[in-house]
Amino acid sequence: MPTTPLTPAQVAPPTSDSSSDPAWAWAPYQPSGKRPWTRALAGHLLRRAGFGATWAELEQAVADGPRRTVDRLVRPDADLADFNRSHDDYESSAAAGGSADALRAWWLRRMIKSPQPLLEKMTLFWHDHFAVSAARVPIARLMWEHVRQLRAHALGHFPALMAHVLQDPAVLLALGAASNRKARPNEHLARQLLQRYTLGAGQFSDRDVRETARALTGKFVLRGQLRHFEREHDAGVKTILGQSGAFNGRDVLHVALEHPATARHIVRRLFRWFVSETEEAGDDMLAPLAEAYAKDYDTGRLVETILRSNFFYSADAYRRRVKRPVEFALGIIRALEGNVPTLRLANELAALGENLYYPPTTKGWAAGQHWINPALIIARNNLALALVGGQAPYGKKLNPVQVAQSHGRQDAAAAGRFLVDLLLPGDAASDVPRIAQQESAGGGNLPTSLRKLTHRLTTLPEFQLA
Amino acid sequence: MSLSRRELLKSAVGTSTLFALAPTVPAFLQRAAVAAAATQRRDTVLVVLQLSGGNDGLNTVVPHADDAYGRARRTLRLTQREVHKINDDLGFHPQMSGFARLLSEGRLAIVQGIGYPQSNRNHPVAMRNWHTAHPNDENCPTGWLGRAIDQLAPPGAMTVPGVFVAPIQQTLAVRAERAVVPTIREAQDGVLRGPAGTAAGIHADRLLAAAEVERMDQKNPLLHAARSSTRAAAIASRRIASVVADAGSTGNYPPLQLAQSLRTVSQLIRADVGIRIFFTELGGGGIGGFDNHANQRDNHAALLKQLSESVAAFADDLGRDRQLERVVLMTFSEFGRTLTENGRRGTGHGDSQPVFLVGGRLRGGLVGKHPSLTRLDQDAPKFHTDFRRVYATMLDAWLGVDSRPVLGAQYPPLDLFTA
Repeated sequence: MPTTPLTPAQVAPPTSDSSSDPAWAWAPYQPSGKRPWTRALAGHLLRRAGFGATWAELEQAVADGPRRTVDRLVRPDADLADFNRSHDDYESSAAAGGSADALRAWWLRRMIKSPQPLLEKMTLFWHDHFAVSAARVPIARLMWEHVRQLRAHALGHFPALMAHVLQDPAVLLALGAASNRKARPNEHLARQLLQRYTLGAGQFSDRDVRETARALTGKFVLRGQLRHFEREHDAGVKTILGQSGAFNGRDVLHVALEHPATARHIVRRLFRWFVSETEEAGDDMLAPLAEAYAKDYDTGRLVETILRSNFFYSADAYRRRVKRPVEFALGIIRALEGNVPTLRLANELAALGENLYYPPTTKGWAAGQHWINPALIIARNNLALALVGGQAPYGKKLNPVQVAQSHGRQDAAAAGRFLVDLLLPGDAASDVPRIAQQESAGGGNLPTSLRKLTHRLTTLPEFQLA
Repeated sequence: MSLSRRELLKSAVGTSTLFALAPTVPAFLQRAAVAAAATQRRDTVLVVLQLSGGNDGLNTVVPHADDAYGRARRTLRLTQREVHKINDDLGFHPQMSGFARLLSEGRLAIVQGIGYPQSNRNHPVAMRNWHTAHPNDENCPTGWLGRAIDQLAPPGAMTVPGVFVAPIQQTLAVRAERAVVPTIREAQDGVLRGPAGTAAGIHADRLLAAAEVERMDQKNPLLHAARSSTRAAAIASRRIASVVADAGSTGNYPPLQLAQSLRTVSQLIRADVGIRIFFTELGGGGIGGFDNHANQRDNHAALLKQLSESVAAFADDLGRDRQLERVVLMTFSEFGRTLTENGRRGTGHGDSQPVFLVGGRLRGGLVGKHPSLTRLDQDAPKFHTDFRRVYATMLDAWLGVDSRPVLGAQYPPLDLFTA
């Protein structure tokens, strides 16, 4: 069935709807005649909540509508425990090998194959948030355990995640805080805790940092193990964010979680992660989310609220994020239902700027516009060609003609339209049908011409956006 | 790697292909023309070459006339007859005829006695110090070149001010807070590859055409960024492809790893796509590199030969058409080595080192004194000039990047360049 590209008006409502009224913005989106559920919106949801969609997933989402699709993303039917257990085993052996490089490859495989891509997307969110780099944690087992815990808490409760993080040897090593002596408290750890992990910039004073550092004394990492030495803990009274007491690490966390800035900070980061990198949402806009989150810090429910919201399906969110390199490559791989050697892919993604397990600084990845510049566009073009070109190094692992035909598109024209609908569901610009026709009607060898078409679609400006 | 607007204009005027894309092109060319008139930017280039492992400066710039040298180096000692003369007291290692020639041509400077207070002699720490330019701040997240790159690429600018050209993992030196620094192993990596049967030029034209089509959501700044990046990518790709295709422009490089990396750098400089900072490396690919604790002689000689021949080929290549006038290559290592040879015909981790500069607008020759071989710090020659003064000079005087935010302080510049 040929589909016509949608106009922006069909994709999303007028911008004024979302940018004005927070109550409307975060209320669940109900498809209507004015704001219909479209293939474009289904593609949008599956890009944001995961790593792109297969044809079957896209079709199912179009048929099911947003409510049931989000239900399934949040609570998948498939046996997730079994999948995660087997991948934990693979990763455990890889970590025993001593290098984080193999762990990168296994994580990519999880992202491609997981019955719950949302869980991996959120694990990646927390990886970016805590920004622990294997470059500073030379023990692969610690990096594996770190990311495993991020996954375990990814859609759980933030306080439990933070409680783990403050006991995580990987976090302490990454922040150069392997010995927090009473006589020499580590302000780097304290600052990172307040500024990046909980409250956010501008919410605390230098004194809060010093006092927090005192509260965290006594923690050591020895031979990869966290140790607590009471004699190195400063048991004196500290004053942090206006509260005083003989605080330890647990108490600091309690104080930070009680501060309203913490929920706002996490909500703002999740807004940027799921909704838009172009809008700076104000406190008023985020207030309903932040207030709800502050009650019990249930990250899963917060994510669910965002993924169901009017704002999420508005023009202010649509294609308003740049695909991370992982999203770019996995979007192609998942759509073409193939599998590729992820050890190699991990290196290619590092060259595009996203080296899993190695965030560039303790501020994570800068993301947004920083993912694209002329050199990186060239590198994306060349990676896409390597993936779909049918030649070395990835060979014929991805095969567009096979995917098109397995979904009943036998002839050139139908297969061309299929690939457009698959890779740019519902929003290809005016030149795309012509490109599809040009490449698929080029005569000659259908498999080859569909490879060319696939490559061209992945190099279009809109394909770079999530 | 973006074209500066001036370059974009230049390329467009010079290439008929771009005009063949009319009527979509003129609008942005017109914008570019207006902007080009307003910006005349210095497009100087800095190439930083890391010598991994701790280079033995004393057997690189050899103080052969100093008795302390001769006494301390029983087997590694190089004599006046062997070295390439610099002056009566100093000479280059015998394998460094290329450097000796560059020196005689006024294209090489030896900045002596470079180091920093309380220097560290542990490889990773010392290397981190040189990379961050914040010695002994183990938590400094970015490199000095990364910070310069962030300064050269303000948010929203479709530019690629720095690239990493070496067969090793990217180093901390180029790590930026915002900018993603590409790794380019060969110039071909900077060319948009098209599918088999489609010429790269045609593929680039198609991308250019796609970038010119109005896409759906015109108010989306990210879509705008993707379009302008794609446009600049297509143009940069064409220019790199044409340099790569020009057999006459490949220079005369020996079959050595460093020479190949420098050829790539040269091709990218010649393509004139706006890259200001290159980082490349020698020594990290093999075992130990310059870290010769035992049987130093042959390994060190081979590395210095590779260094000298590769850099000389690079200077000659760029010197042919005066490109060298806008280029400075600067070497560094994480530390020098001890004066005294150990019992295994090697040397230990030291302190100060000579930094080499090669370029077309340098005051060539020796800069600063050779450090004393009698007043040592734990058996190593002491530094007298802080390495951040060299960095500051490269940033302020050469690249035109304000060094204070990069280095955290104002370091007095060195007088290294001709007017």
